Amino acid sequence: MQFFGSAEISPSPPVPTTSGNNAHMMYVFNRNGVCLLYREWNRPLRTLNAQQDHKLMFGLLFSLKSLTAKMDPTSAERGNLGVPQLPGQGCSFHSFRTNTYKLSFMESPSGLKLILITHPRTGDLRQSLKYIYNLYVEYVVKNPLYTPGAPIRCELFNTSLDQYVRSIA
Amino acid sequence: MAAIYSLYIINKSGGLIFYKDYGSAGRMDTNDSLRVASLWHSMHAISQQLSPTTGCSGIELLEADTFDLHCFQSLTAPRTPSVLIDFSKLNEMAHYEAYTGCTVYSWFRRCGVLSGSLWGCDLAYAGAAGTKFFVVCEPGTPHMESLLKVIYELYTDYVLKNPFYEMEMPIRCELFDINLSQAIQKDRVALLGR
Repeated sequence: MQFFGSAEISPSPPVPTTSGNNAHMMYVFNRNGVCLLYREWNRPLRTLNAQQDHKLMFGLLFSLKSLTAKMDPTSAERGNLGVPQLPGQGCSFHSFRTNTYKLSFMESPSGLKLILITHPRTGDLRQSLKYIYNLYVEYVVKNPLYTPGAPIRCELFNTSLDQYVRSIA
Repeated sequence: MAAIYSLYIINKSGGLIFYKDYGSAGRMDTNDSLRVASLWHSMHAISQQLSPTTGCSGIELLEADTFDLHCFQSLTAPRTPSVLIDFSKLNEMAHYEAYTGCTVYSWFRRCGVLSGSLWGCDLAYAGAAGTKFFVVCEPGTPHMESLLKVIYELYTDYVLKNPFYEMEMPIRCELFDINLSQAIQKDRVALLGR
């Protein structure tokens, strides 16, 4: 697990992988599975209500993580399937792709989960998620009016996120 | 060093019907492989529910820290048979059902076995609908989609056309094993050759 050394936002965000706006949505969960933020840019299909959707997403990530930890072919000691693991412990994953979307996932050492859903042809978004994490640190964590664990309602964060996401995917 | 770590085949209800390990550290025991397979089946289904657009058919590639998982699913709906049914054989079909109590699908398959005709083969594909094949390999291993297609072909040739194989049951076909290990070996040689 890599830790995020500099707290400062790097002066120039990572180079966009492709041009055009094809990000679908973004989720931020804290370590308890509370959805702190849900942003939506382009989502024609909704099968569930918002709360159910967040629960399903968190459940998917949790189970996929325990699956990858169990499947890890490079280590012999893998523990039991379904036992919760600390962030950074065991083999995790950084993205998956279906024919209609690509989900990129990052977990911070404190258990904050960032999920970005984009067009299936977008490239590696690990650097972009780190940049978004830095935005979170700058505009949410350092906001004196923000209580940890509460849904994010920071105007500055939302606008800078929108702006950045438009530039990447 | 192995490019491919393991191969799983699961049937349409999530049961593991084939598992082979090609040298991962610490082999998984039978219980765990069964649980992992059914977990993958449900994750695959959930990923379709969460799609922002219509027409999602589930996870194709999962990129983990130490491995890649490529998944291939055979046709989800039996689309081909309706156009391929030879109506002159309907009578024969009805008789077959009446005498043996087997379904028309198994009759289709048996036809494919006996005649080796093209349409029999296509019907065998339809019978395999919803079967998932997935390989676990090193991150960034190329040509895994084509390898999965090759494995799928071997499956239709040596498993579905085997008259003693029962659908959705674990695969125990010697010819399939032999041809599969050849295909994997060939793939490995091709990788080393580069």
